[in-house]
Amino acid sequence: MQSRWTWRLLASPGVLWLSVFFLVAFYAVVAVAFGNQDTFSAPVPFWKPWDWNVGYMLAVLRDLWSGGQYLTVFVRTFVFVAVSLALSLLIGYPVAYYAARHVHGRWRGIVLVSLILPFWINYLMRMLAWINLLSPDGWATKVLHWVGIDHVFIWLGLLANEGGWLDGQPSTVILALVYGYVPFLILPLYASLDRIDQRQIEAARDLGAGPFSAFRRVTLPLSVPGILAGSVLVALPMFGDYYTPDLVSASPKTNIIGNQIDELTRQGSEKVTGASLTLVLSAAMLVLMVYYLRTTRAAGAEATAEA
Amino acid sequence: MIAWLRNPWARPRALVVVTGAYILWSLLPVALAVMFAFNAGRSRTTWQGFSFRWFTSQVGVFHDPALQSALKHTLLLGVICVAVATPLGVTLALGLQRWRGRGAGTVNTMMLLPLVTPEIVMGVALLLLFLKVFPGLGLGTVPQAIGQVTFTLSYVVVIVRGRLVSIGKEYEEAAADLGAPPHDQILRVVLPLLAPAIVASAAVVFALSIDDFVVTQYLSGAPSTTTVPMLLYASARGAPTPALNAIATVTLVITLATLSLAFLVYRRFAGGGDAAVVAAMEM
Amino acid sequence: MSEHELQGEVRLEELTKRFGEVAAVDGIDLRMPPGEFFTMLGPSGCGKTTTLRMIAGFERPTSGRIVLDGVDVAQVPAHRRNVNTVFQSYALFPHLDVAGNVAFGLKYRRLSKDDTRKRVAQALELVQLGGFAQRKPGQLSGGQQQRVALARALVLTPRVLLLDEPLGALDARLRKGLQVELKALQAELGITFVFVTHDQEEALTMSDRVAVMNGGRVEQAGSPREVYEEPSTEFVADFLGVSNLLAGHASADGAGSCVLKVGERTFRAAQGATSSRGEVKAMIRPERIVVEQHDTPGDNRLPGLVERAVFLGSSFELHVRVVGGDVLKAFLPNDGTAMPAAEGAAVTLHLPPDALRVLAPSAGPSEVEPADPVASSG
Repeated sequence: MQSRWTWRLLASPGVLWLSVFFLVAFYAVVAVAFGNQDTFSAPVPFWKPWDWNVGYMLAVLRDLWSGGQYLTVFVRTFVFVAVSLALSLLIGYPVAYYAARHVHGRWRGIVLVSLILPFWINYLMRMLAWINLLSPDGWATKVLHWVGIDHVFIWLGLLANEGGWLDGQPSTVILALVYGYVPFLILPLYASLDRIDQRQIEAARDLGAGPFSAFRRVTLPLSVPGILAGSVLVALPMFGDYYTPDLVSASPKTNIIGNQIDELTRQGSEKVTGASLTLVLSAAMLVLMVYYLRTTRAAGAEATAEA
Repeated sequence: MIAWLRNPWARPRALVVVTGAYILWSLLPVALAVMFAFNAGRSRTTWQGFSFRWFTSQVGVFHDPALQSALKHTLLLGVICVAVATPLGVTLALGLQRWRGRGAGTVNTMMLLPLVTPEIVMGVALLLLFLKVFPGLGLGTVPQAIGQVTFTLSYVVVIVRGRLVSIGKEYEEAAADLGAPPHDQILRVVLPLLAPAIVASAAVVFALSIDDFVVTQYLSGAPSTTTVPMLLYASARGAPTPALNAIATVTLVITLATLSLAFLVYRRFAGGGDAAVVAAMEM
Repeated sequence: MSEHELQGEVRLEELTKRFGEVAAVDGIDLRMPPGEFFTMLGPSGCGKTTTLRMIAGFERPTSGRIVLDGVDVAQVPAHRRNVNTVFQSYALFPHLDVAGNVAFGLKYRRLSKDDTRKRVAQALELVQLGGFAQRKPGQLSGGQQQRVALARALVLTPRVLLLDEPLGALDARLRKGLQVELKALQAELGITFVFVTHDQEEALTMSDRVAVMNGGRVEQAGSPREVYEEPSTEFVADFLGVSNLLAGHASADGAGSCVLKVGERTFRAAQGATSSRGEVKAMIRPERIVVEQHDTPGDNRLPGLVERAVFLGSSFELHVRVVGGDVLKAFLPNDGTAMPAAEGAAVTLHLPPDALRVLAPSAGPSEVEPADPVASSG
C-alpha cells in the first residue's frame, strides 16, 4: 500500500534508458528510412513525419514486389530459416523429450548442464570450431569423405565439390544455423515438456494406449505451445543473422536478409536503403514478436497474480 | 538386442542414443577447438603436439598486442556493462513489479522488446542513433557500452522479477508493520533477499557482454575498440594461427567460471539449482 | 515489559473494501474494547483477513473509518501505526537471526545498543525462547518460529496485536498448547488481541468476544457462549458447532414463544426470534435433543428411525431420520452403558421448547459446511 509514485520513481531510470536507447533508436531507423542521402552519401534523417521522403522505401518495396534482388534474398532467408527450424525441431524435440521425461536423479543435472553449456559458449567460437573442422584439411571434411557423405551431397546438388564445404554452400549454412540455434530451441521445449503432468500420460496408458500412442495423443499436443514458443524464440534471431552465412560461406550466393542489411548499413554507403530494409524486416517479424510477447506476458501476469 | 530395445521399463534406448549423439555433436567441436589452442604447430586442423605457445609466447594471448588489446577491451566492456545494467535492471524490476495502474503494461512490453528483437535491428538502430542523434560521442567504447547495457538490461529485469515473485510481498509487509518506511523495506529486507538473483543476473550480463558480437561491432570505432568476438569474426576465415583458438578458450574459461560462480551462489542462497535453470529459461 | 495503559480500543465504522465490483468487506461496524481477546471468525472469503489487513495498514479501505483510541488511522501508512501483526506464515526475515528479527522494529525507536539487547532478551523470555537469539529462522520448528514472530511484534509494545490465523500451520497438539499460551500471554500483557481464524473451536476456546463474519458482513458479535447458545442467524448456528435445522411455519402462541408447524406436527419454540411469523428456520443443538423410547407421548416429540449410530469415544452420535424426511443428529454422552439405540431402531426425539430456537435469516451467502477445516485466506 505504498505511494504509487515510489515504484514509478524507482523504475524511471530504466524506463528512461530504454526509451532513449531503444525506442528513440528505433525511431532513428524510421527517420533515416524515410530520409534522404546527402552529397557525401551520408544519410539525412527526417524526424518529422510530414517531411518524410518515401522514395527509398518505395524503391525497396517495388523491388520486393517485382521479384528483384531483395525479394530473392528475403525468400532465401525464409527458406533457410524454415529448413533450419525444421531440422532443429527434428533433432531438438527428442533430446528435450528425453531430458525432460526420462532422466532422473544425478543424471538430470549432468544432462541439463550439457544442454545449457552451448548457450554460454561464444557463438562465434562454435562457428570457428566448425570452420576448422570443415576446412579442406579439417577433420570433419576427412570423416565425411571417408563415410562417403560428401559424395551423397554432391550427387544431391548440395555440395559443389569435395572439400568445398565452406565455399558458398547453402547446405553448410543451414547446418551451421542448426548447430548454432538448436540449443536455444531445446530449452523452451524442455521446459514445456517438463511441465506436462506425468499423471495425464499414466491415465492414457491406463486406458489402453501404448507408449507411442500415448505420446502422439497426449504428450505431443500438450507440448505444442512449447514448440511454438521455442520456434519463435529461435526464428527471430535467425532472421536477423548475418554472421553465420558470412563465416561458413562468405559468398553472396548465400546472402540472407541480415547480410543485405549489413552490407548496406555498416559496410556500405547506402544506409537509407539499409534502414528501409530493416523496417521491412521488423514489420515481417512483428507478428512473431507480438505472439511471443503475448504468451510470455500471460505467463508473467499469472506468476505476479499468484504472488 | 531387440529385447534390450524393447524393454518397457527401461528408458527408451533410442532416445538415449539420440541424446548422447546430440550432446557429443554439440560439444565435441568446441572441445576440439580448445584442444587446438594447445597445438604445438601453426595449424588449426592438424595436430602437431602439445604446447602452451599460443598463450605464453610473444605471439600468444598474453603478449601479442592485438590479442591483449581485444581481451582487455572485452573485459572492460563487460565490467562497465555489469556496473550499469545491474542497478538499472534491479530498480526497474522492483518498480515494475509493484507498479499499479496505467503504464505498467506498456513499460513491461518495452522491457521485453529487446529480448525478442533481432540483434541486427538493434545494431542498425543504435548505429543510426549514435551517428545522427549523439554524434558527439562518436563510435567506440561509450556507445558500445551503452548498446550492451540496452540489450542486457532486460535479462536482469526478468531474473530479478522471477525472484521477487517467489519472495512475495509478505516480508515487505512485515517490515512495514514493524515500522520500516518504504525505502527501508527495500534496503533492509528486499535487497538482502534478492542478493542471489542480483549476483546471478550480474554474471549473466557479464557473460552476455563478453560474448556479444553484433551490437558491439556495429558501434565500434577505432581498432582499439575491437573485442574478442570481433577478432574471431574478422580472422576466422583467414589463415590465423591457433592463437585465435587460444583467445577464444580464454574467454570461454572466463565465461564459464563466472557463470558457475553465480550458479553456486544462487543455489546456496536461494535454494535449488532448478531455480537458476528456471530463471535462465524464463526468457 | 513495561506496564501498559489500558488503551488499545479499535473501532471499525462502516468499513468497506471493494476489489473491482466485489465487496470483500461490506460496511462493517465493530468495536474491540481495550484489553480484550477479540476474534473474527468465518469461512474462507468472508472478509476477516481483509479486515485485519486494513487495520494493520496493508490494504487501503474503500470507505469507512478505522479508529484507534479515538484517532482515525484509515489513511495512515502501515509503518506509522502502533499496531503489530503476527502473520500466518510468520514472515521471519531469513537473512537475520532471531535476535536480528526481534530487534528489527526497535531500530526506529532510537534505543542504545544495550537497551535494544535488553528488550530483545526480555521479549524472547516472554515467549520462552531465552537461548535462541543466535539461531536462524530456518533452524527453528514451526512452533518456535511462531514465538519469534510474537516476540518480534510484542517487543514494540503495541496497543493492539493482530494475529492472522497464526496457528493454522501447526499440528493439532501444538496448536492446542499454543492456544492456551496465547490466551495466558494476552491476559498477562493486557493488550488487545485481534485474532482471525476459521476454526470455530479455537475461537470459542480463546476469545473474550467473537465476531462471526460471512460474505463481508458481521452476522453476529458476542461472547463465545452467546454466539454458540444464542445464534441469531442460520449461518451462525450452522458455523458454530453442529446444528439441526428445521423449516417450518411460525405463528403466535404466548409471550416469549411461538408455535412452529413443521409438516403435520406442531411444536412450541421458546428461543430466538419468537416474534417472527411465516416461513422460518428453527434449530436445536444435537446435545439438547432427548432420545426416548419409541412412542413416548407428549408435546414437542417426533418419531424416527435410527439411520446411523456412531461411537465417538466420549459420546455417541445418532443420525435419526424423522417423519417428514429430515435427518436429525443427536449427541449422547458415553456413560459407560451400551449403545443407547441400535441402527434401525425406532425412537422418539423430544425437542424441548427452550432448546428450540427460531432463527433470523442470514446476512450473507447461506449454507456453509460447519466447522470445515479448509485453509482460509479470509
